Amino acid sequence: METSTKEDLEIKKVNCDASEIEYVSYGGEHHLPLIMNLVDQELSEPYSIFTYRYFVYLWPQLSFLAFHKGKCVGTVVCKMGDHRNVSRGYIAMLVVIKPYRGKGIATELVTRSIKVMMESGCEEVTLESEVTNKGALALYGRLGFIRAKRLFHYYLNGVDAFRLKLRFPRPELHPSLPVMADKYGSHIPSDHDNSAFEQ
Amino acid sequence: MMSDPKFQASEAFAMASNDRADGNATVPPPRSAIHSGDNSLWADASPLLHAACQDLKEGELIHGDNFNLYAAMSALEIMDPKMDSGIACKYYSLEEAIEDGAAPIPFSVDKTTDVRCTIDIMDHLLACEATWHKGHSLAQTVYSCLYLLQTERTSSHALLHSYCKVIRATCKEVLSVVSDARTHEEEDVFTMSYGLPLGGNEDEKCLSMLNAVEETVSRQLRACKASSSKKRVSEDIEPLQNNPDLEEGYCKALLCRLRFRKHFYHLLISMRRPQGRGLELGRKHISSCIAEIDSIRKSSAFLRARAWEISEQNRCNTTASGSEPIGFDASINCRLAAPTPPRAIEILCWEKALDYFVKLLQDLDHICSYTLDASWEAALLFVVNFQKSQPDLVSRAHLQILLIQGGKLYGRDTIFSVITRAAGLPEFTKSHIIQENEFMVQLGQLVINLLKILCTNAAWQRRKLGKMLQDWRVTYVQLELAFEKEFGETSNISNNKHTSITIFQHILPWVEEQTYWIAYRFLILGFELELYSVHDYCMVYWYIYAVLTKLAEKKHIRMAISSGTAKKKTKKKKDSLRDDYQIPAAVLFLQSQIYLAEGLSMMLAALRNEQILVPPQSPFNTEREVFMQQFELLQRACLPDRVSYSTFKESTLHANFSTQVLSDHFKEAQRIAKEVKSSFAHDPDKMAEIRRMEQVAEHNNIALNVIRQVGGALEPCLKISFTFTHHPFFATAIVKRS
Repeated sequence: METSTKEDLEIKKVNCDASEIEYVSYGGEHHLPLIMNLVDQELSEPYSIFTYRYFVYLWPQLSFLAFHKGKCVGTVVCKMGDHRNVSRGYIAMLVVIKPYRGKGIATELVTRSIKVMMESGCEEVTLESEVTNKGALALYGRLGFIRAKRLFHYYLNGVDAFRLKLRFPRPELHPSLPVMADKYGSHIPSDHDNSAFEQ
Repeated sequence: MMSDPKFQASEAFAMASNDRADGNATVPPPRSAIHSGDNSLWADASPLLHAACQDLKEGELIHGDNFNLYAAMSALEIMDPKMDSGIACKYYSLEEAIEDGAAPIPFSVDKTTDVRCTIDIMDHLLACEATWHKGHSLAQTVYSCLYLLQTERTSSHALLHSYCKVIRATCKEVLSVVSDARTHEEEDVFTMSYGLPLGGNEDEKCLSMLNAVEETVSRQLRACKASSSKKRVSEDIEPLQNNPDLEEGYCKALLCRLRFRKHFYHLLISMRRPQGRGLELGRKHISSCIAEIDSIRKSSAFLRARAWEISEQNRCNTTASGSEPIGFDASINCRLAAPTPPRAIEILCWEKALDYFVKLLQDLDHICSYTLDASWEAALLFVVNFQKSQPDLVSRAHLQILLIQGGKLYGRDTIFSVITRAAGLPEFTKSHIIQENEFMVQLGQLVINLLKILCTNAAWQRRKLGKMLQDWRVTYVQLELAFEKEFGETSNISNNKHTSITIFQHILPWVEEQTYWIAYRFLILGFELELYSVHDYCMVYWYIYAVLTKLAEKKHIRMAISSGTAKKKTKKKKDSLRDDYQIPAAVLFLQSQIYLAEGLSMMLAALRNEQILVPPQSPFNTEREVFMQQFELLQRACLPDRVSYSTFKESTLHANFSTQVLSDHFKEAQRIAKEVKSSFAHDPDKMAEIRRMEQVAEHNNIALNVIRQVGGALEPCLKISFTFTHHPFFATAIVKRS
């Protein structure tokens, strides 16, 4: 679905430290209007209230809100389910209001949601993003998403989209493969190695 | 509010929260003019709905057997203009619009104004047509013209009537080409025409009407020119309009528009002729179309001057004159439009519409200039080259139906004959009974499908190419098994007792070669589609290197087998000895590319190993997962075999800048490219490609030298970026010291 873009040099940025941002898991009906207002404000596709309810009722643990001094400044709305025998998470909406962009809030929101997906047994996570949304592409690229497909004229305004996909490491089918330590940090996980998941 | 007895109560009452239900400030005034139909009766249900809302607490939802949360997402809020296409309408129906005077006939009693309005309509229709071609629905573009929705009404106005008829016939023709091609999956809004009056079989009639009108205007033009030069007028003809000073300008403006439509329609008909019989004629019509578009463009100065009363801000950009055209309503077909939220479509501006048609004509001309080469490789090459100009749906569909008609290449050559020729088999084999073997038939289907897929838009094409890899691989294996089963293990080349053996021996390597070609195209399309981030390049070039190596090998085998057969025909032993030691130019060309791919892969690996260009560390996965995802379809089809993330890491782990090894790859690429030039001197496309490859090798070597001079990891302020200015998929490194 959609992610807000990072353009906007004219918007006055708010000065705040990352520690001042409070992240909260979706807690109930009182959060719904906050989410809806943010999304209505920033994203171009029209969503009915049913769309929001579908996500937050069925997967409340996957939606998060970011607050700064009591004001809701960002949100992520997701779902998960089985898709052709693969357990898959889906990021439906990601918004951070303009004055708060560029501070890593979106990354933090997404990261929290993906962690829950991972812990819930998802094998992969996917979303669509406009090909022109450089900010989103960079954000998800840093998290390990690849651009799996390009979707021609996906959006109503004729813009193409990328389907982004993140695949979690799987247990190896051939435990005899040696673990090759890559001296620069990441290493190839072997059968029972879960260090890639640990923070 | 509507209360149709057929309407499900549960759907009507799904209103969620009280604050949304109340006070929609944009409720339109109640209409008494909503027509009751045979099965419907209008009754005001507002009080009932209001009462139902009072009953629901915030957050509560109606559940129904056929209405769960997932289904609810497709629901729309009635009277929300963002979602309810019914609310967006100005007129409820065509009848209402006509009653309201939205589509008068004639436009004015003043003939000059009438002509002016006619031209505006013609221009706006052209803009609508281009907008349709570009991916919007017919209902909201061309058929937003009220006159088009009921052409009988225009019968008293010869100009408009004939123009509308030819537009309808043209759209119908274009629709049928795209529908017949059946590869417009992602662009399926294009063919949605439910409920629209596309017209019957009136092709012949529309052209004769158009010709008659053109003839009249031509005579009017001749007459006005004759009278202005004081020559004797040979016949009495009523002028087009009343102002003698404007007669020439208006006649000319009309003529080029009428002629454009005539030639364009003729072009479409010519291109539909089977086996490419109309291509040459098509080129003539294209040339006329382009000339008329030029005249149309030039007419805008005159037409704008006529519309002097319109200020700059109020100028409409879809007509040459800048006046709003009469008789269009974008929302009149809102119920027939695509099943998306109502959205005002932006009709392309007139200038861009003309540009679109010029490009379309150029692309169609490219198709019409094709010689229908019987060689499979030539056909592939033609399509690949054609796609470089990023042609739109309409021209791509035309190419596809030219290439594949009735299951044959150009409607002329059977697919089996195409395969046997491509595999270097003698002519008589094309009618061999082996073509009825189920796997040969399967192969034939794959070949047809490949050619069709190559005509589609790059995004969709790549996905389909990826999916077909497994099919090609499986078919190869099945053919191989069938061959072994039939003829056992004794399959050496000298045994030519059965033609079948020969056929298999030629076709099998050919199938492998095509399979690797598909894999190669799948990988390189990723660059065009911007699917790879710079951190993916290392593994992508490495995989391209692996695939190209196999492609070169299979091509070489296939060519050797083909020439082996050919050799048996000639009795010149001296020649055959020489040939044995010469690698064919086509294979050498690939080898040059192999070195480029390897060089790039190693350079990127070295940049990573020496900490100059390090990918970000994801908290969720590693490079291995990225590799598995990028090449999943290739891995599944074992293309190539024994290639994996481990082998990739092994190959690239020790790449560094301290030796000359990296440069050697590019130098070798350059050397081979230079050597192979002479064999392609007759082929301008190939020569251009070789030059591009040389540029890539040259510039990357320069970059390597800079990096080596600067000292690698010890120099922290090296900035490396990659560009595709020299070649569409082989990158060039740019090194900067910051």
